[in-house]
Amino acid sequence: MIVGAIAIAVAAAMITTSILGSSGDSPAPPSTVAGSETTTLLEGIPQRGPAMGTPDAPVTLVEFADLQCPFCREWSQQAFPTVVRDYVRPGKVRLVFRGLHFIGPDSEKALRFALAAGQQQKLWNAVDLLYENQGSENSGWVTDELLREIGGAIPGLDVDQAFADMPTAAVTAQMSAAEDLAVGLSVQETPSFAAGKTGDGLSLVNVSSLTADGIKPALDSLLGQ
Amino acid sequence: MSDRALRVLVGSLATVGAAIAGYLVYTRYTNTRIACATGGCEIVQSSKYAELSGVPVAVLGLAAYLFLLATALSASELARAAGAIVAVAGAAFSLYLVYLQVAVIDAICQWCVISDVVMCLLAVACVLRVARAPRPT
Repeated sequence: MIVGAIAIAVAAAMITTSILGSSGDSPAPPSTVAGSETTTLLEGIPQRGPAMGTPDAPVTLVEFADLQCPFCREWSQQAFPTVVRDYVRPGKVRLVFRGLHFIGPDSEKALRFALAAGQQQKLWNAVDLLYENQGSENSGWVTDELLREIGGAIPGLDVDQAFADMPTAAVTAQMSAAEDLAVGLSVQETPSFAAGKTGDGLSLVNVSSLTADGIKPALDSLLGQ
Repeated sequence: MSDRALRVLVGSLATVGAAIAGYLVYTRYTNTRIACATGGCEIVQSSKYAELSGVPVAVLGLAAYLFLLATALSASELARAAGAIVAVAGAAFSLYLVYLQVAVIDAICQWCVISDVVMCLLAVACVLRVARAPRPT
């Protein structure tokens, strides 16, 4: 009897702690914004909509991601810079962002902003900065204020135009196209990656880790290295 | 079922649970992708419910399983009582975690569900150990 009472008390304390811990999210993360590293990393690399890198790169790598997904953020921070430096900048790989928004409303708002920035060929700058400023899931962290700060940190981006483009049919069509591609490739989680020779079909890539080493073997294999 | 048989059962279940929890701890701290047939493992593991006061739930689970494994090595009344407290509390918390996966996070982590089932079985075994303990006459 005493054993049961103690056990229930311990479980109740754990559940209470979990509930209290999960409800204490701040609506927005501490404002970090920054952006100079992103600008330096991407400077001079051609962007066109969701794609980055020379269009005739021999290999195309597609990233499926939700901008609220913490593992996507990890990949962006740990692997993305190396992939850009070693594969995209030298013209070996063309990187395409296919954003999904299954986690919640903040995912969709962030994605619409990124795609709107893509209309001005700045999608990857926006994506990298959104990850850098990522808040708790569905806490309302994707505020207009944050988006304006991020937009302001992207050289050459017309922030007002980006806001105007967010609800447009063109942006919605890109979101639908990403979903269709994800369904077609049976993407089940984020981040997921698909790669192939540019112009040929795409196949899902099994990524062993969220560091650059996790994706390098697949890229090297496609490049014949 | 004898206490000896229950101790073997508790030890076996705790070993399975520790292996699962250890795997989740490993993937968390090495940034390794979780092998996942249900497609929701990383969503669950990256959710805000995957930590309790800053401590990953997988770490708490690993600690609980190792503790239960230790209690299986002893036939003492203290070991039986301590094992029952940890296992029943763990089972109750596991049911809460299953509820979160189904109703709140809307994603299923296969490893978490298997661990939850193992913890519930451990609770039954540990309570049986207490219930079947010899009474002082």
